[in-house]
Amino acid sequence: MDLQSAKAPAWLKKRLSLNRNIYEVKRILSEYSVKTVCESGLCPNITECFSKRSVTFLIMGDACTRSCGFCSVNNAAPDAIDPDEAPKVLEAVKRLESKYVIITSVTRDDLADGGADQFAEVVRTLKNFSQKLIVEVLVPDFKGEKSAVKTVIDAGADIFAHNIETVRRLYPLARPGAGYERSLDVLRCAKCLSAKVVMKSGMMVGLGETEDEIIDAMRDLRSAGCEALTIGQYLSPGKDNLPVQRFAGLEEFARYEKIGGEIGFRHVASGPFVRSSYFAEEGYRKIKERCDDECYTAAVS
Amino acid sequence: MTNVTLPPLAEGIDKANISYWHHSVGDAVSEGENLVELVTDKATFNMPAPASGVLRQILAAEGDEIKVGQVIARIE
Repeated sequence: MDLQSAKAPAWLKKRLSLNRNIYEVKRILSEYSVKTVCESGLCPNITECFSKRSVTFLIMGDACTRSCGFCSVNNAAPDAIDPDEAPKVLEAVKRLESKYVIITSVTRDDLADGGADQFAEVVRTLKNFSQKLIVEVLVPDFKGEKSAVKTVIDAGADIFAHNIETVRRLYPLARPGAGYERSLDVLRCAKCLSAKVVMKSGMMVGLGETEDEIIDAMRDLRSAGCEALTIGQYLSPGKDNLPVQRFAGLEEFARYEKIGGEIGFRHVASGPFVRSSYFAEEGYRKIKERCDDECYTAAVS
Repeated sequence: MTNVTLPPLAEGIDKANISYWHHSVGDAVSEGENLVELVTDKATFNMPAPASGVLRQILAAEGDEIKVGQVIARIE
């Protein structure tokens, strides 16, 4: 019996939410035919987030041109780009009454720009509706194309996230078609292009890495300009995906949070059910508060 | 009488298995306390009681597969 089929450890049980909002959110998403990574990624936090009307939009279809070993999103022929996608996302955002919007996508290696224009279009549409909307983008690696990163940055997102996902050694196994250095380059490039955008990344524990390897990756991310980091337990979405190698304990997650603070991250969310976009709004507000405090301290001293 | 139903978990996850009932028929339960533990291919979940009252019926046994929307218990 593999690890995940065995009884889950006590700390790895997710509490379901039964709030009525869940049904309304699902209705809104289907009304505008917009997809979320919450559903396509089989996220265990879905009832908790939907009950708070919090979603992460998945643009440019739910068929991915890559097949990472940890991911449940289908590797299939990609969908045609929907020219009306940005207004559909905006309508859904209005109905959800969101103040913080997260946009992610599958990897679109079939497109010359990797989908950067579509990201930019969605961001601009949201910002044109209201500058007060805070927009986070969680982008693929665009094959490392700097022009694509620039297209997204120039559109004016507040948070630029790109997930490193796993440690350097496990890339051939977990992320064939991607590159550890390439992903760091995407982050470095974004940070060079905009000093004010908040840089964020995320990774999983449980694919077979050691604690030291995780800490090395944290240092690499910090050196690349990352300010916010999420670390969560990998859960295998199905039998065709990579198996879970181990369940990290709560103490280990707490250590990452502590070490993250010591090496200069402004915010580290680390816990079994932490996912890239989990409580992203709260994380962003903490970062902003800290920035404001530091600016204030700098101004008065 | 309040029906206890499985909420939608995600697209593609339309079922779960009951692993453990925290209560038996006749028990008084409070809204929000853990009622039943469920397992899907991806994770283990604790489902809270949707209302306070007496657990009158349990309609799915430990080990049973249940579908999203299915009534699995009644609280009065």
